[in-house]
Amino acid sequence: MTTKEIMEESTNSTNNNNKTVLVVGSGIAGMTTAISLAERGIKSILVSPFVSERAQSVMAAGGINAALDNMGEGDSIEQHIDDTLKGGCMIAGKDAVTGLCSNAPDIIKWLEKLGVVFTLNKKGEIDQRAFGGQTCRRTCYCGTSTGKQIVSALVMECRRYEAAGLIERRLWNDFHSGLIKDGKCYGALLFNEAFASLEAVYADAVVMATGGQNALFGKTTGSTQCDGYAAGRLFMQGAALKNLEFIQYHPTTIETKQKRMLVSEAARGEGGRLYYEEGGKRVYFMEDRFGSRGNLMPRDIVSRCMEETGKDIFLDVTQLGADVIDARLPEVRDLCLKYAGLDIKKESIPVKPSVHFFMGGLAVDEKHETSIEDLYAVGECASRYHGANRLGGNSLLAAIYSGKTAAKSIDEKKIVADQDQTDKGQAEVEAFFGKYIQKESEKIVKDFSSESRFPVMYIRDMVAEIMNTDLGIVRDEGSLQKGISDLDYYIDISSRIKYDSSVLEYFNYSLPAILNLAKATLLSAKERRESRGAHIRSDHPETSGDFAASSVISYNDGNFDITYDMEGRFEH
Amino acid sequence: MKVKILRKRPTEDKQYWEEFIYEGSPDISVAGMLDELNYKDDIMNAEGGSVPRIAWECSCLQGMCGGCAMVINGKPALACETFVRDLGDEITLKPLSKFPVINDLVIDRGIIHENALKVNNYIQEYKESPAKEHAHQYSAARCLKCGLCLEVCPNYIKGDRFYGALFANDCYLIATRSDVYNKDIKKDYDKHFAAGCSKSLACVEVCPMKIPTLSSMAKLNR
Repeated sequence: MTTKEIMEESTNSTNNNNKTVLVVGSGIAGMTTAISLAERGIKSILVSPFVSERAQSVMAAGGINAALDNMGEGDSIEQHIDDTLKGGCMIAGKDAVTGLCSNAPDIIKWLEKLGVVFTLNKKGEIDQRAFGGQTCRRTCYCGTSTGKQIVSALVMECRRYEAAGLIERRLWNDFHSGLIKDGKCYGALLFNEAFASLEAVYADAVVMATGGQNALFGKTTGSTQCDGYAAGRLFMQGAALKNLEFIQYHPTTIETKQKRMLVSEAARGEGGRLYYEEGGKRVYFMEDRFGSRGNLMPRDIVSRCMEETGKDIFLDVTQLGADVIDARLPEVRDLCLKYAGLDIKKESIPVKPSVHFFMGGLAVDEKHETSIEDLYAVGECASRYHGANRLGGNSLLAAIYSGKTAAKSIDEKKIVADQDQTDKGQAEVEAFFGKYIQKESEKIVKDFSSESRFPVMYIRDMVAEIMNTDLGIVRDEGSLQKGISDLDYYIDISSRIKYDSSVLEYFNYSLPAILNLAKATLLSAKERRESRGAHIRSDHPETSGDFAASSVISYNDGNFDITYDMEGRFEH
Repeated sequence: MKVKILRKRPTEDKQYWEEFIYEGSPDISVAGMLDELNYKDDIMNAEGGSVPRIAWECSCLQGMCGGCAMVINGKPALACETFVRDLGDEITLKPLSKFPVINDLVIDRGIIHENALKVNNYIQEYKESPAKEHAHQYSAARCLKCGLCLEVCPNYIKGDRFYGALFANDCYLIATRSDVYNKDIKKDYDKHFAAGCSKSLACVEVCPMKIPTLSSMAKLNR
């Protein structure tokens, strides 16, 4: 299709106009946003340090949920909504989750039309498998690489609109900060490492699609590229964050020499059993406690039960037999063999829970807009739908649904009509940001001309140690307070340390925001004096009605303020 | 163990060799080893001098993203899938040679995308494809765009005319899914792949995803 044809086709648009949108991050959520904007005739600039093939999205192996009921188990959208709300321990918004689950079947159809090859069942329909916390087999999947297959299809679809001039990709750019004035976002500053320069990009809306806050914990099961910096920086610029204390520990990860790697939930979905050994006998503790489906309880419950045993836990799939393993779990087989020298057809897999997904992130409303006007967030960096614990198969769904929702909201938003006023306002805004950009550029030049023996990497490692020690699966006030005090020390010195020339400038300028994001996370965990979903307090083991809502934390010049969103301002 | 790395600063053009000493476990991948060298409080070369940390493109550390493709002891491979124990007493690391070097082992593979864009490499009008194509489509869509197939290809030079195996696989994906059998795609495939391919099949051997490119070629040549 030519540009003209695409423009003519974009009849969905309510407000075809000259808007330009800046999308930061080019994984599944970012690409979906850009494509959905282009379908509506709206131009976007899609920015990322590396190409989409490097996005963490390609690692999402499990699948994507939709109540298609292809397995004939009586599944329904209502059931999907119910499971998601229950899995999230009743603090996700009902309307939010209803939107997510009702749109899931259409999203699957959309993906098929883009060329995503789903695995089919014997009837030739999309096959669906069991994941934790589901009443029916609901997870659609593409062999062993669902995320990758979706990324490949979206890259190709983006290309259609790149050719038409509706999507412009920019690589080798890191997010630096938002261009924000009086609670409204006008664009973003990008940093180019090769030229060591800052560039301002003005836009009618900015959409953040930067993934989870992995780097707070050092190495996680996810990508090294997702570090949470963008959320941290925007937080310091006034954007509210939500539910930071809810961090999903995936129950089954295996230690390798390079990192902890994920053993897909599909291993338990296919019939893998968790156990520990006592007196030479196996104890199938999940089955003992919850019956035959015990191994497939939601992730928060499995991780918690594993932790409570205090024992070394193993996952046994040998009983499935070589044929099933080869057919259904080849990625688990290969990963264990390659990186841990383990033959899963003969041996049990030693597993431990490890940080995997962040239910918390930028607080967004039903439009996926943050507390800053014209600043949106989608995918894992946004907090929505998952409440206190996310169900497997719901993150890919949310990544796509959130991208579509943000694009629709941006399209439907009216622009200010008075052109004179707009021009004048624009000049004023650019003068304001001119000063801001100059100040930030000077900081970077100053960085380059200073030398420090105090390495940024050391402080980053310390952050990871604090977070892993003081914000484990089970927390208490004492350890959280200790972590906060330790972070205060590093926040204090981070404003005084000089440039660490051994690392990229990005690692230097990102440090204060990462430290403050870490502190916000610990503060949110300390404030929630109850146990719910992935947040487990040994000193407050019960769930409490006083906290039956999302936590919202905001920042103002060094002060952190936490409230609970009882009225559902962000999510209802 | 001695590790020699061909390096480059982002703001300078000249490449230079630098040696490091790695003393950790040999049962680690080259990617894991680079991480160990980098993520200490300080990074020092073999002479004990303080040097910049080693830049290399990395995201997943487990063979799913293709970022860490580099030349390891003369052989192009993913660093996260090549183990130190298999490399002898000395390891040399170089960036892939067929792409511009940005910084140390980080290269600019932008040409892959630019070429695809140049010839409108996307599905025109979607058509459901027969089930017998699904397995191969799935396989072709696993391409990491890591560039290893281009690095080993005797016909691929800079990508100005011959686009390489990854392009052939993308052409296959489109041809089997477009409504009208897409003459343009076939023409582009002929011009930018078939005409230049001498069938060394080095691309098939090096592919970390084991994509049977030959099968894409057979289907497109039909």
